[in-house]
Amino acid sequence: MPDVVPTNAASSGVKLDKKSLKAIAARSDRPGLVYLVQWSLGLLVTGAAVWWSVGTLWMWPAMLVHGILLSVPSYAMSHETAHGTAFRTRRLNEAVLWITSLIYMEEPLHRRYSHTNHHTHTWHVGKDSQMPFDTPMGFGGWIAEITGFALLRFHLSVFFNLAIKRYTPTMRAVAPESELPKMTRNARLMLAIYAAILAAPFFGIWWPVWLLVVPRILGAPVMLLFTLIQHVELQENAPSILESTRSFRGSPITNFLYMNMNNHVEHHLYPQVPFHGLPALSDAVRDQLPEPDPGFFRTNWEVLVVSLRRSMGLSTRAPSIRQAPHMISDGGPVRRIAERTM
Amino acid sequence: MTTWVDACATDDIDDEDLIAWHHGGHRYAIYKTDKGFFATDLMCTHEEESLEEGLVMDCIIECPLHGGRFDIRTGEALSAPVSIDLKTYPVKVEGGRVFVALG
Ligand code: FES
Repeated sequence: MPDVVPTNAASSGVKLDKKSLKAIAARSDRPGLVYLVQWSLGLLVTGAAVWWSVGTLWMWPAMLVHGILLSVPSYAMSHETAHGTAFRTRRLNEAVLWITSLIYMEEPLHRRYSHTNHHTHTWHVGKDSQMPFDTPMGFGGWIAEITGFALLRFHLSVFFNLAIKRYTPTMRAVAPESELPKMTRNARLMLAIYAAILAAPFFGIWWPVWLLVVPRILGAPVMLLFTLIQHVELQENAPSILESTRSFRGSPITNFLYMNMNNHVEHHLYPQVPFHGLPALSDAVRDQLPEPDPGFFRTNWEVLVVSLRRSMGLSTRAPSIRQAPHMISDGGPVRRIAERTM
Repeated sequence: MTTWVDACATDDIDDEDLIAWHHGGHRYAIYKTDKGFFATDLMCTHEEESLEEGLVMDCIIECPLHGGRFDIRTGEALSAPVSIDLKTYPVKVEGGRVFVALG
């Protein structure tokens, strides 16, 4: 008997015939390249809006919109390329992984390996190295998560540890020994790039601040609202992805920004399916899955209200989103289940 | 001594695909590619995952769990997160049947 049973379609009792799966999982460079062109054009437009509004009050909303367009797709594309599914051509995939991880601010191989672990042990306490908050979540946890400071602190500690070759037990557990020197090299190079960006204003160069630094800070909370609802309020330690993971209804805008990852249950069931195959996968397994939760705004609103009520000792039943049974209480003290691992 | 074991018919496997084959308590993958038929171990060398639902692209098999890739012909681990090669087995085709060399 294997000592590890990965959390995926097999562990969740979901079935899809091989012919359909093969067709849905087929790889191509085209959809990823089209996405890159659309994303770049969007960034050109929002970047121009920032450029022309600097010095006026309009620069703040412009930087927010530019920041959302910078942050959410960089997260989504670095995730997709960490899986190796964004492009059929591996070199293209790896180059885009590097650049989007630079924007997302995580060393690319750390991103890949800690994420493989997240797929093997999805939402398993003490095993999943990508549990970004304590569960059940209270309002303090919500704030720490959504401001982005908790994640930034974690990613910076990863960068510095890798740069000085201080490999943590988690890094050693998830990444092969042979990859550690590459991770150190990447971390040093990326830290040098960040240092150059931060030093630019001292030489009178301000555009990186208005086009990269401030937008990235403003866009981070929106990116984190997307990632927050992947597993929050759901069941820890469940072999079934259907109990640990949430899909929510998409819209053309959220589907673009998040590269169809609103189909998150489907993604965890069949991680080999690329972002452009997720809508077809969702159709193919729909009758075996729970209904997706409401859209991005409604789902996030209910999560926020539940977190706040939990911190106030009030009842925590949400009106419509899915919750694990133990997340629903009539109030009172909260028993911690998981501690954040990132 | 090498024993050639009859594993399947050539048309049991779709083009650019694989099937799982169980023999003697061991699990093998048998592939049909445009370069011919090949056989490897069925289980990925990264974690305990069957390659049966993996994608075959040219002469590469991609693991369905984390996307590690192997060269089907040589078993070489080509890309992260796999770093240990996959064991391969000689294959011959005779009379519409695929034979795998074991032992
Ligand atoms: S189990 Fe095959 S790549 Fe991880």
